[in-house]
Amino acid sequence: MRDISKTSYAWRIAATVLGIGLLLNGSLRMSDDVWPFGPLSQYAFSPAKDTTIVITRVEGLLADGNRIDLPLRVETAGISRAEIEARIPQITADPSLLRSVANGWTSRHRGEPALIRLWLVQDQTRLVDGRVGPTRLVELSTWELPA
Amino acid sequence: MRILRSVGSWFMPVVPDSRVAILRTVLYLFVIIDIHLFVRDPIPLSRHPELYQPLMIERLLQLPPPSVPLTITLYLILMIGCLLAASNVFPRLAGGVVAAAFTWWTAIGMSYGKVDHDHLALVVALSVLPTVGVIADRWRSTDRSRQAGWALKCIQISVVFTYFLSALTKIRSGGWSITSWPESSILLWAIVRRPHGLGQFLVPYPELLQLMQWLSFTAELTAVVVLWLRGRALLAAAVFWMGFHVFTLAMLYIHFAPTAICWLAFAPLERFGPWLRRVKASRGQRAGRRPAGHAVSVLRDHPVDSGG
Repeated sequence: MRDISKTSYAWRIAATVLGIGLLLNGSLRMSDDVWPFGPLSQYAFSPAKDTTIVITRVEGLLADGNRIDLPLRVETAGISRAEIEARIPQITADPSLLRSVANGWTSRHRGEPALIRLWLVQDQTRLVDGRVGPTRLVELSTWELPA
Repeated sequence: MRILRSVGSWFMPVVPDSRVAILRTVLYLFVIIDIHLFVRDPIPLSRHPELYQPLMIERLLQLPPPSVPLTITLYLILMIGCLLAASNVFPRLAGGVVAAAFTWWTAIGMSYGKVDHDHLALVVALSVLPTVGVIADRWRSTDRSRQAGWALKCIQISVVFTYFLSALTKIRSGGWSITSWPESSILLWAIVRRPHGLGQFLVPYPELLQLMQWLSFTAELTAVVVLWLRGRALLAAAVFWMGFHVFTLAMLYIHFAPTAICWLAFAPLERFGPWLRRVKASRGQRAGRRPAGHAVSVLRDHPVDSGG
């Protein structure tokens, strides 16, 4: 068996206590900002039985008049749906933040008609007594691409 | 004093070094998979400086904002560092560099609005694995140490805390109520938002979804017990949690692979090397060849008691 010095022993105990303390503190008191010690808050909230479930999407109008759903994945748009959702207030204040989605799509579809306009939209599905109810489409923001 | 000593030896059991040597290989190779499949967005995200919102760790350490050259450099450092550390070469230096680079890389991935929570155990594992130091003979080591025991214990604690703390967070976010999360419509909400998995077939049965919420919440809240399980009971717990991850993957397309891989910290990995050599030796014999030259070492490397 390998030896372990008193110092080695002591700092390990101290590090363990500190780590557990930071984790408990993060979960009980802090926000995501203190990652990796933040609360494990994915799917940790409690939606009510009459809540409205929202899916955020970006739609685009092409020069040929077609309206299409623009993918919100890192590979295609450079940014994911979750990151768009986290920034809805900024995007409604400054819709040109949707530029990265447009650029991502355009750079992968060079041969196709140009994008003219983008919409930030949401599918809002209402729950009724814990069961899935009706869905409606809501437009949050519009951005005209510079010609 | 005796209590202190027994608490100390609980945190630092004597464990075969080869267990850590094997876990290093697996986890550092996993990091290479991780940066390509899971936290794969730092390079594309670094093209959008306008969306960067540094986390506290990045502000405290005054890390420069991500740029494409920076994220590509981190990527290259991770690739080289992981290959060295996976071979147990320069375990302190390569392991330390990987721990810092991967923590930064993952922090960048979480600095554009969405923070994931499946990397806690892996980040902890990468931070503690280098502290075990050089393991002579690596996978074949027959040495044992408290250093190895402490590293494994830290990883084990962070695995079960991933579940336990998520239960605490559910209690907290429900206004410090035990029943609000399990009685809520969370699974239905998750399925409607991610309508690709098998979960969509359960949409007509909200009562069943709520029962699943109670089951998973209870399991999470009591997950710390796993730290005191041994033998078959530990195996049963591991199988349960692997089943849980397979289930959430099938239902919602949510995987917790970085947590799942860290369950290996509970496994008697030191038996893998001797087993592999036995299999090879018996294959060699069956093929009519003389037993391979390392047949002797099979005897010498007879499985050490998992102990600890």
